[in-house]
Amino acid sequence: MKRMLLTCLLLIAVVATGGCQGKDDTYHTGPRDNDPAARTDVKLALNWFPEAEHGGFYAAQLNGYFAEEGLNVQIIPGGPGSPVIQQVARGTIEFGVATADQIPLGRAQGANVVATMAAIDQSPRCFLVHEESGINSLEELQDVTLAMNSGRAFSEYLKKHVPLKNVRVVPYDGSIAAFLRDKKFAQQAYEFSEPFLAKQEGANVRVLPIRAIGYNPYASLLFTSDKFKNDHPELVAKMTRACRKGWQAYLSEPAKTNEHLQSLNPELTPGVLEFGVQAIVPLTTVDQEDFGQMKLDRWKKLVEQLVDVGLIDQDAVKPEDCFFEAS
Amino acid sequence: MKEDRFSWKTIVLPLLVLVLTIALWQAIIQVSGLEPYILPGPRDVAQTMWQRGGSLLLYSLRTGMVAVSGFLISVVLGVGVSLMFSQSSIIRQSGYPYAIFFQTVPIVAVAPLVIAIFGYGVLSVIVVTTMISLFPIITATTTGLITVDQGLLDLFRVNKATRWQILWKLQFPGAIRYLLTGMKTSAGLAVVGAIVGEFFAGHSSGHQGLGYFILVSQNQINTSSLFAGTICSTLLGVVVFGTISLLGRLLLWRWAGEG
Repeated sequence: MKRMLLTCLLLIAVVATGGCQGKDDTYHTGPRDNDPAARTDVKLALNWFPEAEHGGFYAAQLNGYFAEEGLNVQIIPGGPGSPVIQQVARGTIEFGVATADQIPLGRAQGANVVATMAAIDQSPRCFLVHEESGINSLEELQDVTLAMNSGRAFSEYLKKHVPLKNVRVVPYDGSIAAFLRDKKFAQQAYEFSEPFLAKQEGANVRVLPIRAIGYNPYASLLFTSDKFKNDHPELVAKMTRACRKGWQAYLSEPAKTNEHLQSLNPELTPGVLEFGVQAIVPLTTVDQEDFGQMKLDRWKKLVEQLVDVGLIDQDAVKPEDCFFEAS
Repeated sequence: MKEDRFSWKTIVLPLLVLVLTIALWQAIIQVSGLEPYILPGPRDVAQTMWQRGGSLLLYSLRTGMVAVSGFLISVVLGVGVSLMFSQSSIIRQSGYPYAIFFQTVPIVAVAPLVIAIFGYGVLSVIVVTTMISLFPIITATTTGLITVDQGLLDLFRVNKATRWQILWKLQFPGAIRYLLTGMKTSAGLAVVGAIVGEFFAGHSSGHQGLGYFILVSQNQINTSSLFAGTICSTLLGVVVFGTISLLGRLLLWRWAGEG
């Protein structure tokens, strides 16, 4: 009971501090000049520690694209369990970075958030197996221990669409240590990170992307709340434009940004960012005119898949509400 | 200081606080206008608990079993270590800094090591639980064992009591009260330990507990489930704590002649 009371008090404190930051009337649109005082302050919350999947947002900051649009953007790094969707939906933070499936999940709970740009078009979510296991596709995934985050959309999708014969599902602890030890071990991963680390440790790793079995949500999405989008459409357009430009710059000239990322996240293994960019480029449409734009069909399919695996109720979320093309 | 005797107040007062807390909770929601995905109302949470009652009970039982197992092991280990510490100040001084290790070690950091040694599953969760709940037992019991009435000690020595007799007939009965205090602190930590352990090592197919439920609710941005799971873990803590307190009264009555 004491604990519950403490939780309540803590929540009051959080609400109180959160409440003080509400500043609906301060979003005057800043002029396009280099006077920092005249720029509009906004915050961008990342869903993880700074790494390659956030490179474009940092590039926009380093190259001055935010400033060109009259924005003064504070990028807030995330970590395990950072409540990015909730904070953006509440309005404590104006913009966030997420994977596409988080958007409908949030909306189904009343956290009305909307994506405005997708930097990564093809899902980088994958599973790692050892080549020695003889497993060549996700359908063949069997007789292994599989470390993954239960309850996440991609893992529920995998459980529903692959027989997983004689597969023991264990928690994913964020490291590849158990994988390296055991040839009969598989784990969730991102194509731009863990394969590099595993190869560096001498493992013969095979990468099995989940999009191969039809689950393909956009990644590195920029999103905001419905309310913010409706109240400040111009500002959302500016932010989207700057981030898009940042991503184009990052994917062609990543060196300077990577150096910055490395300084923000000093525990990153040297080389992982360079590898990350090379892995991300083919997953994007960076060389195309419509880079960053999203398609209704993809969102429809994603929402259907989430209903299918039982994470949201039928008709709880409209796919067309999940994204917005800022002009 | 003598503990409060069990009476109607033991039940009624906490219930009163419960009612007040729920009222405060509802009031916060009314006044702050917080969205349900940040802070769900008591009614939403109660509804979730009712709907998921069966599985929540199962998860709580599993986590409870693990918490109690880890707790019992830490009592046995903790008392053993304390008995050693009580025998010589050299052992105590050399060993104590390492006992502190168990209180300060970030379990996230050692979880992969625990899994590497004990494998995924219940055993690793019990090990994590033991690591988290061990320290209060050691410090409390050691303090109890070395805090001895000098007059009584002289009396034992004058009568040529052996080291064993002094330990068993003087130090140990005196330490029971301290041990119980340590056990009460540990009981709550054991539940926390079991849940944290499940985050990293548990929930392999078929052994899911509250840690799994809480993690999944968090992953799915389902705040009322998250609250339901948290409340269950709190209740579990209360049950374990209550059981220890009852056992404690019994033990004190039998061993130390007080109740």
